[in-house]
Amino acid sequence: MSLSDIWDVLVLGVVLGSLYAVIAIGYTLVYGVLQLLNFAHSEVFMSGGFGGVIALTLVEPAAGPTGLQSAGYVLLGMGAGAVLGGAVAFGLEKAAYQPLRRRNAPRLVFLLTAIGASFFLYNLAGKLFGRYPMKMPTMYENKKLFEVFGAGVSVTQLIIVLAGVLMLLTVDLVVNRTKLGSGIRAVAQDPEAAALMGVDIDKVVSRTFVLGGLMGGVAGFLFGTNLQVDYTMGFLPGITAFAAAVLGGIGNVRGAMLGGLTLGVVESFTVEIWGDAWRYVGAFAVLVLVLMFRPTGLLGERVGRTA
Amino acid sequence: MPNKNIVRLAIPVAVGGLLLTGCSSDDGGSTIKIAYQGPLSGQNVGLGENMERGVQLAINEANASGDYDFELEYFAADDQGSETEATAAAQSAIDDTDVVAVVGPAFSGPTEISAPLYGQAGLAAVTPSATNPTLTEQEFGTFLRAVPNDNAQGAAMADFLAAQDGVDSVMVIDDVTPYGEGLSDVAVASLEEAGLDVQRQHVPQETVDYGNAARGVVESGVDALIYAGYYEALGPFTTRLDEAGFDGIGISGDGSKDEELVNLGGDATEGWYLTCPCTDATEEPGLADFAERYEAEFGLAPGTYSAEAYDITNMIIEQIAGLGGDPSREELYQALAGVEYQGLTKSFSFDDAGEFTNEAVFFYQVTDGVIGYLGGTEELIG
Repeated sequence: MSLSDIWDVLVLGVVLGSLYAVIAIGYTLVYGVLQLLNFAHSEVFMSGGFGGVIALTLVEPAAGPTGLQSAGYVLLGMGAGAVLGGAVAFGLEKAAYQPLRRRNAPRLVFLLTAIGASFFLYNLAGKLFGRYPMKMPTMYENKKLFEVFGAGVSVTQLIIVLAGVLMLLTVDLVVNRTKLGSGIRAVAQDPEAAALMGVDIDKVVSRTFVLGGLMGGVAGFLFGTNLQVDYTMGFLPGITAFAAAVLGGIGNVRGAMLGGLTLGVVESFTVEIWGDAWRYVGAFAVLVLVLMFRPTGLLGERVGRTA
Repeated sequence: MPNKNIVRLAIPVAVGGLLLTGCSSDDGGSTIKIAYQGPLSGQNVGLGENMERGVQLAINEANASGDYDFELEYFAADDQGSETEATAAAQSAIDDTDVVAVVGPAFSGPTEISAPLYGQAGLAAVTPSATNPTLTEQEFGTFLRAVPNDNAQGAAMADFLAAQDGVDSVMVIDDVTPYGEGLSDVAVASLEEAGLDVQRQHVPQETVDYGNAARGVVESGVDALIYAGYYEALGPFTTRLDEAGFDGIGISGDGSKDEELVNLGGDATEGWYLTCPCTDATEEPGLADFAERYEAEFGLAPGTYSAEAYDITNMIIEQIAGLGGDPSREELYQALAGVEYQGLTKSFSFDDAGEFTNEAVFFYQVTDGVIGYLGGTEELIG
């Protein structure tokens, strides 16, 4: 493998890894506040993809758009993805998890509910939008923009990485610097004490879901732009992102980012060296190895104690 | 209050009893069902529905014709094109005792699972489209393949590429499905026989990113690429190939021959060749009338294997009529295995293994966003 090959493969890995990282945030935030593995998050991600397709199909992007128009379309797609992702996450929490919390249901019930909600949501999407894969309307000419050490970077790839980095920074700021963030951290650390100190737990939990949903929705739109959108698109990226969250240390926001990027890059190099059929073998071997020696993941701690 | 309990029990029992008598009283034993097994949901539903409509059209026309003294009904067995759903789909058709024959399974993977079950039940399974060559070697019992297998398609691809100027090296990529790997095996062997330099890759169907694969194709510097898989994967793959700067010849098989390919891949699919053991119902003069009736019924033009599924269904109906309108599953299978039937698309007959005895393959090419018909292999290569 020559040096420019390595950079090529690295670019592909970082692009994929940014998407995994953004999705992983959703898993890790919810785990932080509720100790719940929200498997329906992969469907929040999927709904973001549909949000983008629907919004862009409605505005019908012009052929041969100007730079400004293209930027508008991309922002619209991201916005629509975020809105639908956030809305689905909000509804999911209200309809599926809040009643369980009120009744103090056992953990296992939460987990089963999450899996059930996931099945329900993707089949609902299949009913509503059809079971054919859909292509994201063309928003710009996806040409090669510039080269990093001989590796070409396309418009889509740049958008994904930029949006990913921006979202990760925002979440990090929100969790560490804002009132909502203190609430999230307080609930993660000790829900009872937080409630006694006057934190409205219901509100914090609900907003945590929405925050994760916004990110997941945008990731769904970006993923759909890179590949295509269909009702089963959430499953594989969802599982991988969940693994990324575990790899980084579930409940740890920065861990999720690191885990996502690591898995993306490992996947890309695995594919380059052993072929596409081995894609997940490399990534999951890394996951198992890390967990063997560091059962709490790369960065370990939970949301509450990190910051 | 025991009385209340009795009432609670009595109502469902009574309703159930009524339903049961309702079922058995009015059919007089003359309802015959023909099943179709294929992807009626899931990612490859496009291919599945093309055939389903062909089957339905044949059944509707037979019922409307008044030529038969039995009533035909359609039975849908949805396998999602997936091995995991194939058992349940086959079992549903087997369990309905009115089903006398199955059109399908549509895909090679599910066929490996379902065909042995049909064999045990003595239920004939006539596939319009499962083309993996090994299927007929496994002695499933009642499996008949009404389509040339991938040996014909793979060989046609290789012959076609060998006849092109400036094609010395070819990469063959399959999607790690039984269909893709089967087609890819044959293509690789035929290309090597033709003296071309061949490389082989596997890219699983559900890949989340075709960037690596596309890069690999361009870096290898091959003159042509054969993709053995389905349209829903080839669509995004062509986009990434285009981005990576691939400018060689692209060929794929019948699994990719669906208009959805162009919708998903857009301009990147332009110029791609597609082979298919199926004729184009809208182009072949003898099929124009069929295409019109199909469009009148469903509001859209016939797709890949629609006409073939229609032919097979009519062939089954003819055999049912020949057996007096009330055949057992076993009798019907025997009749089909020995059939000589001239359909709209081709003539149907099977050898002892249930393999099709006709080997025609046709070429198509994506031109101006439409999958255009080029003609048979002989016309193109000579």
